[in-house]
Amino acid sequence: MRSLTVASALLLVTAACGGGGDEPAKTADGKDVLTIAVWAYDQTPEFKALFDAFEAENPTIDIQPVDLLAGDDYAEKVTTMLAGGDKTDVLTMKNVTDYARYGTRGQLADLTDVVDGLPRESYRGLDAFDLDGTYYALPYRQDFWVLYYNKKLVGDADLSNLTWDEYAALAKSLTKGEGAEKVYGAYHHVWRSVVQAIAASQNGGDQLGGDYSWMADQYATTLDLEKAGAIMPWSTANSQKVSYDSQFSTGKAAMLPMGAWYSARLIADKAAGKHDTDWGVAPMPQPAKGAGVKTFGSPTAFAVNKNARNAEAARAFVEFASGEKGATAVAKIGIYPSFTNDAVLAAYAGVAGMPNDETAKKAFAPDEIMLEMPVSETSSDVDAILKEEHELIMAGEKPVPDGITEMGDRVKNEVG
Amino acid sequence: MASLTRRRTTLVGWSFILPNFIGFAALTLVPVVAALALSFMEWDSYSSPEWVGLANFERMWNNATFWVALTNTCYYALGHIPLTLVAALGLAMLLNRPLRGVGLFRTALFFPYVTSLVAVAVVWNMLFSPDLGPVNQFLRAVGVDHPPGWTTSSDWSMPAVILTSVWRDMGYYMVLYLAGLQTIPAELYEAAKVDGAGRWARFRHITLPSLRPTTFFVVIMLTISSFKVFDLVQVMTEGGPGRSTLVLSQLIFREGITQGRFGYSSAISMVLFVIVLLVTLIQFRLQQRSER
Repeated sequence: MRSLTVASALLLVTAACGGGGDEPAKTADGKDVLTIAVWAYDQTPEFKALFDAFEAENPTIDIQPVDLLAGDDYAEKVTTMLAGGDKTDVLTMKNVTDYARYGTRGQLADLTDVVDGLPRESYRGLDAFDLDGTYYALPYRQDFWVLYYNKKLVGDADLSNLTWDEYAALAKSLTKGEGAEKVYGAYHHVWRSVVQAIAASQNGGDQLGGDYSWMADQYATTLDLEKAGAIMPWSTANSQKVSYDSQFSTGKAAMLPMGAWYSARLIADKAAGKHDTDWGVAPMPQPAKGAGVKTFGSPTAFAVNKNARNAEAARAFVEFASGEKGATAVAKIGIYPSFTNDAVLAAYAGVAGMPNDETAKKAFAPDEIMLEMPVSETSSDVDAILKEEHELIMAGEKPVPDGITEMGDRVKNEVG
Repeated sequence: MASLTRRRTTLVGWSFILPNFIGFAALTLVPVVAALALSFMEWDSYSSPEWVGLANFERMWNNATFWVALTNTCYYALGHIPLTLVAALGLAMLLNRPLRGVGLFRTALFFPYVTSLVAVAVVWNMLFSPDLGPVNQFLRAVGVDHPPGWTTSSDWSMPAVILTSVWRDMGYYMVLYLAGLQTIPAELYEAAKVDGAGRWARFRHITLPSLRPTTFFVVIMLTISSFKVFDLVQVMTEGGPGRSTLVLSQLIFREGITQGRFGYSSAISMVLFVIVLLVTLIQFRLQQRSER
């Protein structure tokens, strides 16, 4: 209790003391310091790639990352920083739900004039940052989900056009061994998006709508895979805090639905000798053949803190990172950028270690990418409810129909 | 002259308590008052606070999640307080004898209390793992065909958290009870033995009454720590599965930090404050009555 009230008071005091107007800090050799909030700097190579590229273009600016370490808690840390009047110049917007909160609260600088000058047709994910006609962030990365596979474990199976039924049959056939030696046909991470956002993107479901019957088939597929022992039980993965990387890169799972961002890590870790997995990328399985590749994703962006000490350099960096030069810098390390043109896509395809066969090309050019979670002022409340009910379904605590009904009832009653 | 001396004595007294009082005022009193004021406002930590009267409390009253968190917090307290108390007293009785290696046992039992709580939570999460954890492996070995899912079961997740917290806290409260036990004059026990009192009678009529001040202190401390439990639940279950281990402190954190509703979050913290205050006052009153 005391710690909570202390925190409240500190927030009040620091918020009152907050405000812009401070001069940018200088390094010993006279460069302007530009601070940028990031997560897990050492394990997220895109940050260094972008910072190095920007510094090379702007020798009078020294970027100093503010590493908030754990990715899962990033949003909470940024929220707390902003509440305390923090003056970090640039803030990475890890997802659009959190972005909407900061933007609507007036914690970010207006970048609409920058957006107005952009070649919009070259950008993916830009619209997600439109808050009633105002833009507070520019995307530099456009993630979407694909199916990773271990070439050695999958063998000559054709993954270019899988339905979920075929995927399930394949996962079961690839499962072998027992105990510590067991190799699963696939690994499904514990996030609710692995079921719910896939279902939304492929069945046209509205995650904010209150009717969640469109999730039923995807839950049935996932729970059937778990019952057959073809994927690690959700309860085990959740209680053991299993990482998807530890399952896939060590050959404990043959297939892995995951975001395109994972390619960069696989490439970097393989180059560093941390694993020797021969991996490929396929399109996300679909409910039926012939409907094109539908998947979901979420852009990642940079925003300028309203209290930035070095607002001018911050705007320059955000514009640089989202534009062609930033896109080229991240594409070269295997991150799919928001801005694309032929040169950028060539840089992405040309990354040493990046799969570039026909199946991979199809995976990297999905027909439809639905936003992982629609942006709305109710998004974070609905997200919390969907997560809680997802846990109960996956832990076997609630039958799927009951869980789906409960999601709808709670969203209608608690969020409105 | 006498009045000057008295004034000087008073000033010296104030000078001794002033640093502590300044700390208390700045870090406790002002925040509590600020939280009370905020509970009547809508504030997102950035824009100007807006007076909303009792709207935050009304929202709380009508919010099912608040009632779930309140029920869970009481459930945790009702499990944690008596179990820790009994375990601590039992261990203290056991280790209040001139046993060989008693110091080692006392240290070993106290050790979890000074270990990082996050480390404790992570280790117990592994022990409670439904498929691979040693707890369930043991249960299967002794014939339990379907052992609990522990942290992934909505029925068992709170007992798992309670057991972990009892394991962590019992060593600390054992030390308090050991101190209390050592203040009881040995003559009392000898006299009782001479009068023919058995072990249970000596425990009931000498040990328990003598330990009343210690027990009172232990219960107060356990009550406060139980109602403000946060970190253990956050690391072990994050309030899940579903809302089965969501406690009030977590709800305060979620609503304030995650959702940016600092007014609503302060209103919940006020309710928590009042609950702890009331429970503590009731315990004080009961203690005073039993001393009469």
